[in-house]
Amino acid sequence: MNTITTRTPGFREAAAFEWTKFSSLRSTRWTTAAVGLLTVAGAVFVGLSGSLQPDDTVLGGSLTLAVVALMIAGVAGALAVCGEYSSGTIGSTLAAVPRRGRVLTAKAALLAGVLFPLALVSCTVAYVLGDAILEDGAYAQGEPFPALLGIAALFAVVAVLGLAIGTLLRHSAGAVTAVIAVMLLPSLFGPLFGNLQRWIAGATPTAALEKLTQTSDASAEAVGSLGAWPSLALVTGYTLLLLLLAARSLHRRDV
Amino acid sequence: MIEARELTKRYGDRTAVDRLSFTVRPGLVTGFLGPNGAGKSTTMRMVLGLDAPSSGTVTVAGQRYDRLGAPLRVVGSLLDAKSVHGGRTVRRHLLGLARSNAIPRRRVDEVLELVGLADVADQRAKGLSLGMGQRLGIAAALLGDPEVLILDEPVNGLDTEGIRWIRDLLKSQAAQGRTVFLSSHLMSEMELTADHLIVIGRGRLLADTDMRDFIRTNSQGGTRVRTPDDEAQRMRALLESRGARVALDATGGWRVTGLGPSEVGELAREHRLAVHELTPVLSSLEEVYTQMTRSSVEFRGAETPYETEEAFR
Repeated sequence: MNTITTRTPGFREAAAFEWTKFSSLRSTRWTTAAVGLLTVAGAVFVGLSGSLQPDDTVLGGSLTLAVVALMIAGVAGALAVCGEYSSGTIGSTLAAVPRRGRVLTAKAALLAGVLFPLALVSCTVAYVLGDAILEDGAYAQGEPFPALLGIAALFAVVAVLGLAIGTLLRHSAGAVTAVIAVMLLPSLFGPLFGNLQRWIAGATPTAALEKLTQTSDASAEAVGSLGAWPSLALVTGYTLLLLLLAARSLHRRDV
Repeated sequence: MIEARELTKRYGDRTAVDRLSFTVRPGLVTGFLGPNGAGKSTTMRMVLGLDAPSSGTVTVAGQRYDRLGAPLRVVGSLLDAKSVHGGRTVRRHLLGLARSNAIPRRRVDEVLELVGLADVADQRAKGLSLGMGQRLGIAAALLGDPEVLILDEPVNGLDTEGIRWIRDLLKSQAAQGRTVFLSSHLMSEMELTADHLIVIGRGRLLADTDMRDFIRTNSQGGTRVRTPDDEAQRMRALLESRGARVALDATGGWRVTGLGPSEVGELAREHRLAVHELTPVLSSLEEVYTQMTRSSVEFRGAETPYETEEAFR
């Protein structure tokens, strides 16, 4: 009876579904645009105002606002799933793609696939702008390559981290708060933990970003002596762990 | 075909659906009736794999829903018309669903045309009226040209023209050999649309039967007899002398129980009484249903022990 004869849908179709949903909302389009625009705007602001520490690098200074952009990337990740719960579309999404692990993987792939190139381009543009505006030779240059690739990867990872948190918590407000808490609180309250600070604050995505951008904030006292790339690996590691937990919870829960 | 076997859903110590077994067959419109809180929506959610049964199984087209390769091409569902993101346009909402199941893009325009939303295809969903939202939900259900349709309260928010439209649509879908399973609290509507009924109360099956049979069996109808005014009292006396119970019908004339139309007709001829109307009267589905579910209404309180048999008497 069914007149539609095409291939059995798989991951590709699930990903196309997620892309259609993602790209058809103003809110997600603007949130994503904000990630790129903020980074670039930060470089222009810092360059024109010259507001960086004497021991800072051009790369670190240009990417001053990347911390905020990174937070927005995490929020975008959380909203990619919490928006489905608040609007009620989660039911029709899971009726269309009953393999829940596939839905989550498709969302993660979409977020990573959007944020990696976006962050790579915007951070590179920010660096080039910052470099052009800042006074030559006044600051150490910093090593833009391959750090910029790592920074872009970090944006992708943090968006997926937001997705995992959002899937576990389901409610937008709670998930956004949790994402911001993960990004900010360890640095704010780190000093309370004494010697543990280096470990707690050092494990955050924010610390990984500071190390990758080689800013003067990334001192061993504040964020530990773990190198930039191992930090990125650490954040990626616990993000994947949380994503697994999220997948398990999504699989077990009633919608 | 939808088959539920001993389907059970418990929330803590509350049992929402209790060992429910039924089969929804193709080629018919099957109505799913029950008072609020009877477990209709929970059952439908379990059919669609959204909620997991505590025990028991349910299959659609012979398979568990989550094992269907392309579910939207087998089962179309409408659970909650609000399950559309208000910021998305009508077309993009459907397009996303179409992509998820490798349904050709042209189907989006076809179903938009079919439900009468082609003119608002590029509007955001939040601007839609309740009735248009319902039509969009039905468009989504029809998108994959599915052999099974599962609709929870599909006429909610539709105007009379919309209700008639959906009634015709569901009947034609069933006539094409599809399985149509719909719940509604509008019994008058169910009476006009459904061929078969599954009635539940407190999560348990109360009846699974042909709709006409259901009304006939549970009916306290009788025969409406209308005579010229000056012969009405003679007719009444005559009928009562033969053991019938005679009451005034709401529409005028007598409502006779205990004697069928043929007996009343014969009797009238023997006694040379004129008969202006002789109509078999069945209770409406609403009357029967109200009577049946009275004992199983959720808020009845726990001190009344619930018996399934009771509901049939």
